[in-house]
Amino acid sequence: MEIVVCIKPVPEAETRLRVAPDGRTLDPEGVKFVLAGYDESALEQALLLKESLPGSKVHAVAYGPAPRTEEVLRAAVALGADLATWVEGPPGVGGDPVAAARALAGAIASVPHDLVLCGKQAGDDEAGIVPPALGELLAAPDFGSVVDLRWDTSASRLTFLRSTEAGGERWESPTPCVIGLQQAWNDPRTAKLPNILKSRKATITKRPMESAPPGPRSEPAKFELPPPRTGARMVEFKTPEEAAQKLVRILREDAKVFP
Amino acid sequence: MSAPILVVAEGSDGRLGGPTLESISVARTLGGGPVIGFATGRAANELASDFGRFGVDRVLIVPNLGSDAVPVGVHANAVAFAADHVGADTVLFGGSIFGRDLAGHLAVRWNAAVATGVIDARRDGAIVEVRRPVFGGRATETRRLEGPHVVLAIRLHAFAAPSEDPGTPLVDVVVPPPVLPALLAPRRTSVEPSTAGAGPSLGDASIVVSGGRGVRAAENFQLVEELAASLGAAVGASRAVTDAGWRPSSFQVGQTGRSVSPQLYVAVGISGAIQHLVGMLSSRVIVAINSDPSAPIFRVADYGIVGDLFQILPALTAEIRRVRGS
Ligand SMILES: Cc1cc2nc3c(=O)[nH]c(=O)nc-3n(C[C@H](O)[C@H](O)[C@H](O)COP(=O)(O)OP(=O)(O)OC[C@H]3O[C@@H](n4cnc5c(N)ncnc54)[C@H](O)[C@@H]3O)c2cc1C
Ligand SMILES: Nc1ncnc2c1ncn2[C@@H]1O[C@H](COP(=O)(O)O)[C@@H](O)[C@H]1O
Repeated sequence: MEIVVCIKPVPEAETRLRVAPDGRTLDPEGVKFVLAGYDESALEQALLLKESLPGSKVHAVAYGPAPRTEEVLRAAVALGADLATWVEGPPGVGGDPVAAARALAGAIASVPHDLVLCGKQAGDDEAGIVPPALGELLAAPDFGSVVDLRWDTSASRLTFLRSTEAGGERWESPTPCVIGLQQAWNDPRTAKLPNILKSRKATITKRPMESAPPGPRSEPAKFELPPPRTGARMVEFKTPEEAAQKLVRILREDAKVFP
Repeated sequence: MSAPILVVAEGSDGRLGGPTLESISVARTLGGGPVIGFATGRAANELASDFGRFGVDRVLIVPNLGSDAVPVGVHANAVAFAADHVGADTVLFGGSIFGRDLAGHLAVRWNAAVATGVIDARRDGAIVEVRRPVFGGRATETRRLEGPHVVLAIRLHAFAAPSEDPGTPLVDVVVPPPVLPALLAPRRTSVEPSTAGAGPSLGDASIVVSGGRGVRAAENFQLVEELAASLGAAVGASRAVTDAGWRPSSFQVGQTGRSVSPQLYVAVGISGAIQHLVGMLSSRVIVAINSDPSAPIFRVADYGIVGDLFQILPALTAEIRRVRGS
């Protein structure tokens, strides 16, 4: 199976967020970019499928500027991706996810792809736009919020569970197909040192930036951080019953969160 | 006369769901042209008349998409067709998984600027300016979306339901062009109820009570569940809990679990690691119960109780049952 995994370079979860001097985006200065959380899981899922289906290949594809995009691709190769494609994107942060999807779709359409795996949403913009947009652009069915993805060899179909507000739905789908993965693995593999060293020399196919087609535009206008939290208002009490009474009164009368 | 705004219905038992009601509110405040409803599926007629409760006087329906379980791309085809049919310039979806997936499709299909997780939207000429939480609620971005077509998916619980204004809408049936056969090949084989038991599910609950490692054992998690039941809340967990196998991973809130943004989030025996916080920081009110006064969760909580959860939870559950008279 030819598996494409879309990985997005996003700021590390622990990053201290700062506003850029122009006030429109996150200040990327000094920020360490890593694979988005769900993308790490998507890559792990791809590698597990590859290991169970001899002859499969995992192809990591990322869109974005230097150097962060190349770095996450090398990290993916160190973890076990066979191929890597870098679709060059404009510098900066806060780009439009539809533009990202168009750039990625151009690259994916030109390589073999039975399964396109994405994270269900990226930890920075939290848009959740790229997987469905890729489905539309590649004219393939797509499914978001997927957990428990398997390949049914006898039927040549993917089977998976979609987690929904009401519970879950089981589906089966032929390929090609786009999946937005929501699964959290507790222990995605870590790269071994020799593989990290090898990945530094791995070939990364680079697709030059295309000029943006005229079309709808979405631009960041302002990036705001909430006022620093002043810390919790502590409930003072002598007995658990008193704590309960006070908290319930606060929640009803001050916070008005329930009647 | 400005172009219409299309609101896409979602609901169960023939009633519009909370996410759709919120989008009707947004459509009204956004201003511009009239609000037009859109509904599909077996309950399309009931949903269409439910739009009438909120003063929506025209609804387009696509009664049949081929099956009641089709991939979201098939819905996008129908919505795009309906939007063009009425000459809409804006399409609104509710803050559900379905709404968000559909927004991504429609952005491409209808060649529109798109934003999801919207908590505020206003029109400024041909531009719609939206605000949306990013980085797990640690920041808010404002985006400017340039028309002619704009697609928005609202963030759940960010808006109140609209006031009622009963009427009987005019219903038009439209028939979109067929979709590519590849889109009809996947099959839904079964529907499973939520693993979270009887209460509301994590994704759309307005109150969430989550337990962490402080709960100490699978069987003690019942204390968390009883508190949740007294509040009509969904149950969540930290990764320490799902890693230990005390509850399945579908309960996990955080970076590698679910993101939630309820009205009230109660964190019980959870330290407040950043990977947990990014999944719940955009909750409106956060309450923390923890025996360690220096636990980082108290820095982000609105209200805190420093105490032993094994004493506090039973007292709290009893007090809530008492005031709610059950
Ligand atoms: C890549 C990555 C992804 C991750 N993703 C997630 C994620 O999605 N979600 C997530 O939650 N975590 C995630 N984590 C793990 C996260 O870093 C923390 O380890 C985890 O959230 C800790 O869970 P906890 O707060 O329940 O446990 P602990 O940190 O052990 O905290 C337990 C708390 O319980 C309190 N306590 C103990 N006894 C009592 C008592 N009797 N009464 C009251 N309080 C008590 C303690 O004071 C303590 O504060 C991730 C980590 C990594 C590296
Ligand atoms: N610039 C990008 N490069 C590669 N993959 C991306 C990019 N942006 C988004 N994706 C993929 O799409 C998923 C959802 O992203 P988003 O729509 O931005 O929330 C991510 O988890 C990635 O799998």
